[in-house]
Amino acid sequence: MTDLPVLSILILLPAVGAVLTPFLRKDPIVRWFSLLVLFADFLLALWVLLNFDPNTAAMQFGEHRVWVPNLGISYRLGIDGISVWFVVLTSLLGWICVLASWWSISIRVKEFMTCLLAMQSLMIGVFCALDMILFYILWEAMLVPMYLIIGIWGGANRVYAAFKFFLYTLAGSLLFLIGILLLYFGGGQTFDVLALMEVQYPFPLQIWVFLAFLVAFAVKIPMVPVHTWLPDAHVQAPTAGSIILAGVLLKMGAYGFLRFSLPMLPDASQYFAPMMIALSAVAIVYGGFLALAQSDIKKLIAYSSVSHMGFITLGLFTFDAKGMSGAVIQMFNHGITTGALFLFVGIIYERTHSRDIAAYGGLIKVVPLFGILFAAFLLSSMALPGLNGFIGELLVLAAAFGVSGWAGAAGALGALVGAAYLLGVYRQMLLGEVKTPGDVFVWDLGRRELACAAPLLLFVVWFGLYPKPFLTILQPSLDHLMTQLNPTAVTP
Amino acid sequence: MDLTQITSSVLASGPEIIIILGACVALMLSLVPRPGQGALLAGLSLVMIALAAAMSLTLAQNPQTAYGGMFVNDGFSTFFKMLLYLGTALTILISDRYLGTEDAAKGEYYVLLLFALSGAMIMVSGKDLLIIYVGLELQALSIYVLVGFLTTNTRSNEAALKYVILGAFSSGLLLFGLSLLYGLTGTTQLEAMGEALDSVETSSPLLALATVFLIVGLLFKVGAVPFHMWVPDIYEGAPSPVTGFMSTVGKVAAVAVILRLLIQDLAMLDPIWRGSVEAVAVLTLAAGSFAALVQTNIKRMLAYSSIAHGGFLLLGLLAGGSEGLASVMLYLLIFTVTNLGLFAVIVLLNRGAGQGENIQDFSGLAKSQPGVALMALVFLLSLAGIPPTGGFFAKFYVLVALVDAGFVLLAVFAVLLSAIAAWFYLRVIMLMYMEQNDQPAVFQVSPAIGWALIVTFTGTVLTGVLPAWFLGVSKAAATAGLG
Amino acid sequence: MEEMLREYLPILVFLAVAVGLGIVLILAAVVLAVRNPDPEKVSAYECGFNAFDDARMKFDVRFYLVSILFIIFDLEIAFLFPWAVGFKDISMTGFWSMMVFLGVLTIGFAYEWKKGALEWE
Repeated sequence: MTDLPVLSILILLPAVGAVLTPFLRKDPIVRWFSLLVLFADFLLALWVLLNFDPNTAAMQFGEHRVWVPNLGISYRLGIDGISVWFVVLTSLLGWICVLASWWSISIRVKEFMTCLLAMQSLMIGVFCALDMILFYILWEAMLVPMYLIIGIWGGANRVYAAFKFFLYTLAGSLLFLIGILLLYFGGGQTFDVLALMEVQYPFPLQIWVFLAFLVAFAVKIPMVPVHTWLPDAHVQAPTAGSIILAGVLLKMGAYGFLRFSLPMLPDASQYFAPMMIALSAVAIVYGGFLALAQSDIKKLIAYSSVSHMGFITLGLFTFDAKGMSGAVIQMFNHGITTGALFLFVGIIYERTHSRDIAAYGGLIKVVPLFGILFAAFLLSSMALPGLNGFIGELLVLAAAFGVSGWAGAAGALGALVGAAYLLGVYRQMLLGEVKTPGDVFVWDLGRRELACAAPLLLFVVWFGLYPKPFLTILQPSLDHLMTQLNPTAVTP
Repeated sequence: MDLTQITSSVLASGPEIIIILGACVALMLSLVPRPGQGALLAGLSLVMIALAAAMSLTLAQNPQTAYGGMFVNDGFSTFFKMLLYLGTALTILISDRYLGTEDAAKGEYYVLLLFALSGAMIMVSGKDLLIIYVGLELQALSIYVLVGFLTTNTRSNEAALKYVILGAFSSGLLLFGLSLLYGLTGTTQLEAMGEALDSVETSSPLLALATVFLIVGLLFKVGAVPFHMWVPDIYEGAPSPVTGFMSTVGKVAAVAVILRLLIQDLAMLDPIWRGSVEAVAVLTLAAGSFAALVQTNIKRMLAYSSIAHGGFLLLGLLAGGSEGLASVMLYLLIFTVTNLGLFAVIVLLNRGAGQGENIQDFSGLAKSQPGVALMALVFLLSLAGIPPTGGFFAKFYVLVALVDAGFVLLAVFAVLLSAIAAWFYLRVIMLMYMEQNDQPAVFQVSPAIGWALIVTFTGTVLTGVLPAWFLGVSKAAATAGLG
Repeated sequence: MEEMLREYLPILVFLAVAVGLGIVLILAAVVLAVRNPDPEKVSAYECGFNAFDDARMKFDVRFYLVSILFIIFDLEIAFLFPWAVGFKDISMTGFWSMMVFLGVLTIGFAYEWKKGALEWE
């Protein structure tokens, strides 16, 4: 393909930006600089997508450098049809985050943009890493800028939320580290992800490693019962923090299952599948009902995330081609849609400083542009046919019914409840009598806000109507994953 | 012994002689007060340390024993000596300002630091129980005085008195263990002792008693639970640079002795101490991590944190083998750099008379001193073991050694407890970055402290991003130690 | 091992006898002694004059300093004597070893002199 280390540039560009930002003088310069860097990164990611060869499941744009030879750690990058989409998603949300915090972050702008740029670099790195330790380092280093983003620029209860976020995730990921070491000494003798996939591990080891990985990924996704950090973090985080959390960080847990647990530990995954499906079903229904009971719009979306992420884990552990692809599609779409929802909540919050759903009404009459777009994203989150959420949820539900009627029923119930609370928000905030909290004046979307919303809307409609390009790139990698799950299914 | 033997022995102990000579010269110079004396003595000490370091590196080219096998210069001792030089040099860099703000500038300070350093060096190079003990006492006696250096500060005095009593007590226990070993084998030289012990049944009660006293004495010195009670009071009362010195140089020397005795020469004692040290390691980690959660004084918090780190070191010891040895050595290297960096920040915050040592004094630091706050952030993350700082690789390597040796359960304990320990480091970060402060800390970073900060910061980041070289060095030194 | 320990048996016997005898003597005094106290008997004994002060009085810290200095030089002499007696038989190594030792002592001596440890006032 090309000799240029594209993925490294993709990762290092924001990192270099993060190092340079503190030396810039004025806040406007900092904002424009960060926007420029992240937009350039996005363009590069698009270039990668366009040059991506959809006919193979092999890792592309691979890079390999020796890093810590005495511990067998190397700097190994590469993307396949699954991770390329997350790279695109991350780089897209990156510059949207800068725009979303253009005015709402007015104190310590430099530090904020530094954190954002660092986050971006680490997140893209996580999706590209093909060395377990490299992955782990990036995954854990991410906690620090996120901790600062929530803790410095968050809401009233930000410190508590930041601590909770950090400690939950840290406790989980440390066990992940032990799991990695067990894989290394249990037969792999390498940290190379692709090589580890080839190793056949004994069943008891698989069980333990699966549990260790489960803790890390379950916290990140988050699955019930370790989801309690999410509402706090979401509610307290600034808009950009919420977008990153919902759009990218949550996906990393599911990505971890896809990349590590399923292909490396197929037997343990099969063994634990009933438990995982049960937990997912609980998450879908429980998260949905919790969302139904919320009066705080951010909390509502946070719990809806718990519910929607339940669909993803449900799809993954059906071990069905439909369910798998549904799950991956749902991951990507949830990132777009929920990111957009948090963006819109942030926009209205900037104007009124209230997140109370009941305090709003008839917004569509006052701010029609805002209303229509917000409605579109709500409907997408509800999985309305024709918008992006539909296809993923449908595939997952179909697969779930194939595995267990109960799981399918739970999924269907979750979808119904989802419709209930999302439409509830729609009716309360957008329709009816016009009111705003404290009767403050709200104005419609500006150019900056439109620039944020437009690309997201584009993806929402595009994937709703014509998901074929997405699936073409995804399919070979998913097929490959399926063969790894069922070694017997390979026909010579 | 003929003259050539003597000459070669003297040469082999050249670094120690240089340091002691430097201390004597500094002592004489301190008698004639003149303006800028502190800087002069500090500079002299640094030059002497640099000379000794150069000589150590030269000597490392061909490892040799000296003084009839009582003293050794091998890769193992050279690695530890380099750590000792680094720790002492950094301590000297951060001391001048502290002595100024506390109004305690006296020439003897640097003299005592050099004597303590020479004691530590003798401990590291000693191949004979008596030599090790003499080095230990030389180091300990100098530190006793240093702890009480703030003569008008009651806390400092109290700490010194406690340290003298408990230090003497633990030395007594250690000495008793050593004398029992001597009684069993008839020699104090480690290699001969190792050979003699091969013929002794490990189930012998007398040997068990000797081992117990030996282990207890050594664990006392590194502050492992349940022999950790002295650490918080003394760390809190001692002058901040001295606390930094004790927690790094003092610990490095003590751990070097432990490794030398337990893993290398007297490895046959392993079945006797393994079970109890496993328990001690887990307890140390737990007690250090939990007790640090509730501290309000930064030095006291770091005392408990240092106890917890001691637990990690013991885990590396338990892992054993060249991997375990190397992991402990890398851990000490990274801990020395990181911890002294944080102590540099603590010295900067000191406002005299023990003011500025509360954890609350860190609040708002990110606003008033963004550069220093960023460095403190990196040091704290490194102590918590968050990548991409050196602390992560330190812990990671210990975990690798543990899992490799089959101690998965201990590794799980270790990571869970370090997740708890992360909380109190995060709290300081929270104060620095998320709290407002009406009276933010105002200070100028003096050139000496600036250099110390640059060195420690670079070291902490470098060991995190490019650990390969450091790992290679510690591994080579560990292999050299095992012979 | 066993034999070596057996060689220590006489010492153990000696210790047992010493401790036992001590206890016996003390107990004997308790049992046998005649107790007939009067003020003259129980008062503190001072030679030549009546007791005028509490026996638990503070010493001047300078006494300690002097006694410590004495110990150092006492030890020095203890080293110097055998050295001087055997001077004929030891080589230049022995001579220079002692010179180094004396040099270190001299540095310490100069330090304490300059610090005023030798002055009473």
